[in-house]
Amino acid sequence: MEEVKRLEEKEKKLDDIRRESENKKCPVQRLLYYIDEFISGPMCSKCFPCSLGTAEARIRLRRISKHTETDIKDIEVLERIGAMMIEGSFCKKGKDTGKFIIDLINSSKEEFQNHIYGICSSTECIALIEYIIDPELCTMCGKCLEVCKEKAILGEKKKPFQTGYLPFEIRKKRCTRCGECIKVCPEGAIKINILKPEFA
Amino acid sequence: MEEVVKINIDGKEVEVPAGINLIDAAEIAGIHIPNLCYMKGMKGVGACRLCLVEVEGLKAPVIACNTKVRDNMIVKTKTERVQEVRKFVIDLLLSMHPLDCMTCTKSGICNLQKYAYEFELKESSFTRKKFGYPVDAANPFIKRDPDYCILCGRCVRVCKEQGTNVLDFMGRGIESKVVTANDRPLQESECTFCGSCVDACPVNALLEADRWRKGREWEYEKYNSVCMLCGCACEIKVSVREGDIQKINSGAKDGSVEKYLCAYGRFGFDSLRAESRLSTPLKRVNGELKETTWEDAINIVSTKLKEAGKNTCIISSASITNEDAITLKRFATEVLKTQNIGSTISLYSDPKVFKNSGKADINSSDLIIVIGLNLSQWDRVLPAIDAAVRKRVNRGAKLIVINEAETGLSTVASINLRGNEIESIKAIITALKQSGAEIDKQTEEYLSDVREITEEITKSAGMILNAKSPLILVSPELFNAASNLALIKGDIIAVYPESNARGVALMGIETESKSYAEMTDSKYSLLYIAGNVPLQNRPDTDFLIVQNSYMNDIAKNADIVLPVAEYLETSGTIIDYAGRIKHLNRAIDSHGKSKSHREIFREIAKKMGTTLKMPVESEIKKAADVKAKISAMPFEKTKNLHFEPDKFIETLNLTVINNSRLIWLKEAFEVKAEK
Repeated sequence: MEEVKRLEEKEKKLDDIRRESENKKCPVQRLLYYIDEFISGPMCSKCFPCSLGTAEARIRLRRISKHTETDIKDIEVLERIGAMMIEGSFCKKGKDTGKFIIDLINSSKEEFQNHIYGICSSTECIALIEYIIDPELCTMCGKCLEVCKEKAILGEKKKPFQTGYLPFEIRKKRCTRCGECIKVCPEGAIKINILKPEFA
Repeated sequence: MEEVVKINIDGKEVEVPAGINLIDAAEIAGIHIPNLCYMKGMKGVGACRLCLVEVEGLKAPVIACNTKVRDNMIVKTKTERVQEVRKFVIDLLLSMHPLDCMTCTKSGICNLQKYAYEFELKESSFTRKKFGYPVDAANPFIKRDPDYCILCGRCVRVCKEQGTNVLDFMGRGIESKVVTANDRPLQESECTFCGSCVDACPVNALLEADRWRKGREWEYEKYNSVCMLCGCACEIKVSVREGDIQKINSGAKDGSVEKYLCAYGRFGFDSLRAESRLSTPLKRVNGELKETTWEDAINIVSTKLKEAGKNTCIISSASITNEDAITLKRFATEVLKTQNIGSTISLYSDPKVFKNSGKADINSSDLIIVIGLNLSQWDRVLPAIDAAVRKRVNRGAKLIVINEAETGLSTVASINLRGNEIESIKAIITALKQSGAEIDKQTEEYLSDVREITEEITKSAGMILNAKSPLILVSPELFNAASNLALIKGDIIAVYPESNARGVALMGIETESKSYAEMTDSKYSLLYIAGNVPLQNRPDTDFLIVQNSYMNDIAKNADIVLPVAEYLETSGTIIDYAGRIKHLNRAIDSHGKSKSHREIFREIAKKMGTTLKMPVESEIKKAADVKAKISAMPFEKTKNLHFEPDKFIETLNLTVINNSRLIWLKEAFEVKAEK
């Protein structure tokens, strides 16, 4: 009885993961989130296509989202993993995950391909974007300075009736693109810049 | 009659036994279905997914290891659809496996290599994954290299099934690892170093520790033989290269519960090259043993035998082959004309038991009753029988343990009947009678003072009634009492500590005239000890001849020492406890100038003027073919047959243990026991 209950919980969790993954607009991020959660949660790791396949898929997806050593073949490989998981996995969980991979790639093929060229149009793959502060809009209010956990923002908060302040800047290497600064900026001065891919 | 079904595999029509799985069925048809995690005899787990096949009428492919044959099934094992999944899995496994087949010891026998070849995978198309796990090579028996592991879980399952239960998976998915409890080295776990996991591993993750650069599978000559170190008499497969044994594996059939070999049988062969191995005959000159020639030794022995005449006594071990035993018997009756011939057998059994003990296959028994035996893999008391019983239980057989005290097997038994064994047997028979079973009249007469029929006794009786083929394994001293039970139902087999006890007894070396104890205690002018006899002090005799493979305590006190070839160096046959004739094939040349027992007896006989006939197979078969006749017997223990099996077996194997890497095991266990 207890086992049945536990199984039910796991089954539900797969749906949860699917729902949660929809918070991500970028399909690469959505798939990565799904696979990550699947591996650490409902995956039983009993049969090879599923446990070894998802591990490989995760490596490929991380590579795509970071745009390191990516190859147009990565998408084909993901499709192969998905197809083989549908065909070869032991249980429904594995087959469903394979189907999720295939469906997502099919419905957002263009976006996947864009990622191979280093473009994340949903601006969620942090390695593919940068945050910059528009000096024309920045009022040096310092709100972003307060929320930035990484201390990635350079600048000094402007005090009333004093001059000589410079607009804030973002230290790109420190910035984790967490988005907190964007949320607090009253002027909308912090912009997301899609990095120019080196080949397109 | 076995039920058969007709199936069609890849267009081939075959008839196979009903109820088997598709992998085994395809094997009968001569078709190999790829697999990495399947182990014949055990339930398929379907982890590797290589054995996917298509069955007509089913939409999706099914795993062959866990699909039973049905009549008129049409199976396709090599469709594009399943081949693609297979290639995918092998491709993934290759991405996490070192690609060093050129120096890998398992090359040639590795299943991953075989399938990579089959699917034309030079290397993986996936991302290379490296783990860098530490290697466990802290013991001289088994090396574990997790970097090679493909997570098939065969070692884990084989270890669990036989009851040692040392290995298990840790972690999930690709990060899984086969570990001992708390991931400690093997010697810090409950490992018995039987090496079953080594036989199970399809890759290079589990390997005999000393195999590096000692040749690979195709370089070995293979010999099927029998281990003669204890009463299990396990079948072995000996791998030889350049005249030396490189490894020994279990030689039992795949799928049999007897596919097991203990550390002694698997790793004890180093002792063949030990310093204490006797290589030339020795004679006592001025109180010291000096090397001599065979000619001289045989001269002295034959002269002394002539002098002693009928006042000669021969004691033989029961770890000699049937051929040796027959020759010894002939030597005693035709040349020495003496009745004073006996063996170590009388320490633990009597001739009646050998004649009446049955023949049975443990693989087909669905109920095993173990009476008065302290089988243990850990103490190495008939470890292969212990493992076989546990495996049978895991494959669905019931087990009743009838024993004075708790034994290792108690933990897996369906029913434990503690307390006096005789009383338990009597109670079961009474319960059987109450349930309407037919009881021999004589047995009924013997039945008296039956103790209370407890619920457990009733349950045991019920199990016996419901079983198709019960098997009774019994210690020789309880054989008579247990015969009454076998008379109602089942096969009864007595179990002995020495490998060829049954053979030696059936070949005519009986102990009707004198027991071992009588022989070692009385005074003879000449005592001839053949084989490994557990004597420490020189018995009272004028002249002592010791014919053994090793320089042991008794050999040190001998007047003449004749070197004998070990079991791995001789051919011949034995009869194991279950009455099966097993063949030994000479794997390596005999050490130094040592000769087989029979050669020595024949040479001495020739010197004394008689040519002994060579034993032939037909007479062995004839002698072995006794129809077991069990009859009602009084309910009592046979007197003077009590022995401590663990001590007895250890004493028998002392020379092997002390002269091989097994000494490490003994010391490690002593250290553990102190803690």
